[in-house]
Amino acid sequence: MTDSAERPITTVPGIGLVLTSLLDADLRVQLRNGRALVVSLFLPMVLMYTLGAGKRGALFPASTRLAIAVGVGITSVAILGYTATVARDRETGVFQRLRVTPAPTWAIMSSRLAVQLLSILVMTVVVFIVGGVLLNLTLQPGAYALTMVVAVLGGAEFLSIGQAIVGLLKSADTVNAIGRLLYIPLFALGIVANVSILGSTVETIARWSPGGALISMLAGAMAPATWSSDHWWSVLVSLAYSLVFVAVGIRWFQWETR
Amino acid sequence: MGPDRSSGHLALEVSDLTVTYGPTAAVQGVSFSINEGEIFGLLGPNGAGKTSTLSAIEGLVKPGSGAIKVDGIDARARPGDARARIGVQLQSTSFQKELTIRELVRLYSGLYGASRSKSAADEHLAAVHLDEEAGKRFGQLSGGQQKRLALLIATVHDPPLVLLDEPTAGLDPQSRRQLWERIEHMRRSGRSVLLTTHSMEEAQSVCDRVAIIDHGKIVSLDTPAGLIAKHRDDPQVKKVARGEVTLEDVFIGLTGSELRD
Repeated sequence: MTDSAERPITTVPGIGLVLTSLLDADLRVQLRNGRALVVSLFLPMVLMYTLGAGKRGALFPASTRLAIAVGVGITSVAILGYTATVARDRETGVFQRLRVTPAPTWAIMSSRLAVQLLSILVMTVVVFIVGGVLLNLTLQPGAYALTMVVAVLGGAEFLSIGQAIVGLLKSADTVNAIGRLLYIPLFALGIVANVSILGSTVETIARWSPGGALISMLAGAMAPATWSSDHWWSVLVSLAYSLVFVAVGIRWFQWETR
Repeated sequence: MGPDRSSGHLALEVSDLTVTYGPTAAVQGVSFSINEGEIFGLLGPNGAGKTSTLSAIEGLVKPGSGAIKVDGIDARARPGDARARIGVQLQSTSFQKELTIRELVRLYSGLYGASRSKSAADEHLAAVHLDEEAGKRFGQLSGGQQKRLALLIATVHDPPLVLLDEPTAGLDPQSRRQLWERIEHMRRSGRSVLLTTHSMEEAQSVCDRVAIIDHGKIVSLDTPAGLIAKHRDDPQVKKVARGEVTLEDVFIGLTGSELRD
């Protein structure tokens, strides 16, 4: 505030400054959110280790274990972490406060999604490091880069599902409950699609489910020599899921709980 | 395009505003204007339409009809430009609980196009005596400190119009007086303020003009003294008055004495 009666004519800030401010704040929030760190890193580590223990090691080769760990990490970030944070901030009025600024609503949401995608990339790198150093799960050099690209694609797919959940449901409690209910089937279907222990119908359904498409893409990316038309179909299916769910999540997103 | 000054330096013009939530009409044809450097109060019982009127001006709800001009800018046609000219303190402000108050000031400075440097944020905080709390989270502040921070963030870009939704609710007398001083400081700086309140004392002490709103309609608008003079002889007002007619008597006389939720 100034004492001068000659006041400045306030103008709409540049989008660069708006996005910088939002990204800076959202990154700090993400780093300080202990729950988000646990769900995005703890479960992938546990699964990566337990799927290789004892006789299960033969059923889950290195690339599959890494794929499942990254897939679970993506599902955790998008379905548990992202939805819970957005629902909480909507319920407590954080979004309402942000929306009375000149910042466009798309910038508010894009910043949050960008931070989640970054979290997914960080989680993927951590899985690679832990898998390589502690469990001796290593890939060809090119596979690491390809997996990072696929992690972003899969992240977009699952974040769009998260966006649809938090967009369609108003109450934070309901969002958390539905997120937890969907979490297990979403990644379990991804695992089922990659092991031939159930019937072919279940396997086909699982194969083209969001989790199935994700795990298929990740497994292909981690073993580039095996990449086939099936993996390209998974990419297309993943893109289709992303477009449909993000359209639903944006079209019907409710900024307030009233 | 700069602001339209042809209307006589009006900070805000609201014309025939309606706001509906489903079948419920929360605001029905409300019109008023606020001059530059004026403190304008919206006084009304719970559910009268005060917050809905503010929400429409802030762009949080889409009006059913009517016009809103902020500093000459059509807020419905150019919401971003209008929001850049408004500072807002919501009724219950909530900020990201993981951020320190310095980080919050830097965030909102950036969102309003002001300097988001650490030194600028610290200067802002020092101006409201919160510099020693800069590393604390919003939830760690006292109620009075939270209100001061919310008001600081509302005015961090030096807006010509400040909207305050029940700014002193829940504050102790010392904090309330301090906040009134800050509001009056804004008026001295040429800023305009629209505030909602339940407090007759606040309306009389701070506001230049007051509109009493009920069932979504403005039932009377004048200076606090003008409202008393205008309605002193109304039978409903005389019925509730206990001695000399006060603004509270006028308010209850015009809006009724039944409890509102």
